[in-house]
Amino acid sequence: MTAPLFGPARRVFELTLGEMLWARRTAFMALAAGAPIVIAILARLAVVNGSAVLTVNGNRIGTQAMFETAVSVLYLRFIVPALGVFYGTSLIADEVEDRTITYLFTRPIARGAIVLGKYLAYLLCVAAVVLPSLALVFLIMVPFQNMGPLFGKLLTDLGILALGLAAYGALFLWAGVSFKRPLVGGLVFIFGWEPLAMVLPGYLRYLTIAHYLQASASNVASVLAITAAAVLLAMRTIQTREYVLEQ
Amino acid sequence: MIIAAEHLSKWYGHVSGLNDVTVSVPEGITGLLGPNGAGKSTFMKIVTGQLRPSTGSVRVFGEPIWGNPAQYRRLGFCPEQDAFYEHMTGMQWVEALARLHGMSHDAAQAAARQALDAVDLLDVGDRKIGAYSKGMRQRVKLAQAIVHEPQLLILDEPLSGMDPIMRRRTIRLITDWARAGRSVIVSSHILHEIEAMTANILLMHNGRVVAEGNVHQIRGLIDAQPHRVSIRAEQPRALAQQLLAGDDVSSVRFDGDAVIVETPRPDSFYARLTGIAASGEAGAVDEVTSPDDNLQAVFSYLVKS
Repeated sequence: MTAPLFGPARRVFELTLGEMLWARRTAFMALAAGAPIVIAILARLAVVNGSAVLTVNGNRIGTQAMFETAVSVLYLRFIVPALGVFYGTSLIADEVEDRTITYLFTRPIARGAIVLGKYLAYLLCVAAVVLPSLALVFLIMVPFQNMGPLFGKLLTDLGILALGLAAYGALFLWAGVSFKRPLVGGLVFIFGWEPLAMVLPGYLRYLTIAHYLQASASNVASVLAITAAAVLLAMRTIQTREYVLEQ
Repeated sequence: MIIAAEHLSKWYGHVSGLNDVTVSVPEGITGLLGPNGAGKSTFMKIVTGQLRPSTGSVRVFGEPIWGNPAQYRRLGFCPEQDAFYEHMTGMQWVEALARLHGMSHDAAQAAARQALDAVDLLDVGDRKIGAYSKGMRQRVKLAQAIVHEPQLLILDEPLSGMDPIMRRRTIRLITDWARAGRSVIVSSHILHEIEAMTANILLMHNGRVVAEGNVHQIRGLIDAQPHRVSIRAEQPRALAQQLLAGDDVSSVRFDGDAVIVETPRPDSFYARLTGIAASGEAGAVDEVTSPDDNLQAVFSYLVKS
């Protein structure tokens, strides 16, 4: 009784893309992607006016260093995990809460195709907003003469952000498929567990996604493996799970 | 038999939704009649593979339905819940769902047009569902259920909230559907709605099938109970005046812009209401609903006896 996967997933993908534009969380995504651009403009203006925005031990921090801080703190520690948790948990949970899942579950498509199509739509949607946002911040913050040498670093950062969006989205997609109220647990994971585990000694950091988003070939493989495992697990869970809709 | 259920039970934690139901549903139209909470929706959700039975088994067209998505090529479901992608137009929504049946863009568009036409929504197909009236929302749900021309249509309270004219048209659509050699299972808590479509009914109460067979056998019992109808109309007072002119209305009162009518003869009353709505003499009749307390009284009587 195996049904085709990719054709139906593509159709769910098309349907979900349109849906995501109208989702309640779209305003949050716009804010998340727009805020760094505004901060970058303000920082650049401050530097142009001669006042340093940040100083460390009396040393002025330039816009190039600020860009790197923006990537590691603003994007990787806040925007990417937050988008992953808000969107990932909602992909299926919203359909269940809104009771529209019935229309998807009573079509001749495998439930796994619904999960896959929705996940790919999420990935395209957030990547299309977050990656250009980072590129814009780079163009605003990094002085023109430094752009050439730093272009390779920008490409690496874009890749890491894409991997982060994929991994967090997949993990929280699985949480949304498996649990009734996944958002709170997701927020605790990204803003409680991850920062804590990253500073604790020992091996606890291996139980975070943030740890694997540090550029190295083995970490890239780990992030891809986490992503694939979470998506497959979500596809398997939805296949066997029963959703009792409230009337 | 299109559906065969054996010792079907469903528990929601400690609450029983369905209790040891063994039933065979033949081809044609079958009415599922029972008050709210009788187990009709649970039965339909199990039969449509959305819920898994706690015990027992169900086969649709001789095959299991849970985890068997290929079955949905032959099955169309219109749920009770008023849930939509509100920002989509009726056309976009029905077409998108048709696409999930594997239709090409053009085929899905043509099928959606045909389905919307069948439920008299083609002229407002480009309007957002969020702007639809209750009756239109009911009909667009029906359109998504028939868009792939299934062999079996399962409709959960499809007439709820429709105005009298649309109610009559929808009943005709359902009976025509069955006349073309296809099958329908339709639930309602209003006997005369079911009776207008079929004589073959399953009576449900407290999660059990308490009777099955010909509707006329319980007819007398149900008619003995006063039947209450709530009508939302453009000119409620003019409508009440028209309704009181007939001898099939025993009382009328107002509740906001709704007229609440009690009738001892629902058949005659509904026929007359449809005539009044069609004539437009009392303005537009927007929504007709009936609480299930009259049916609940019948079931209480049946269970006690």
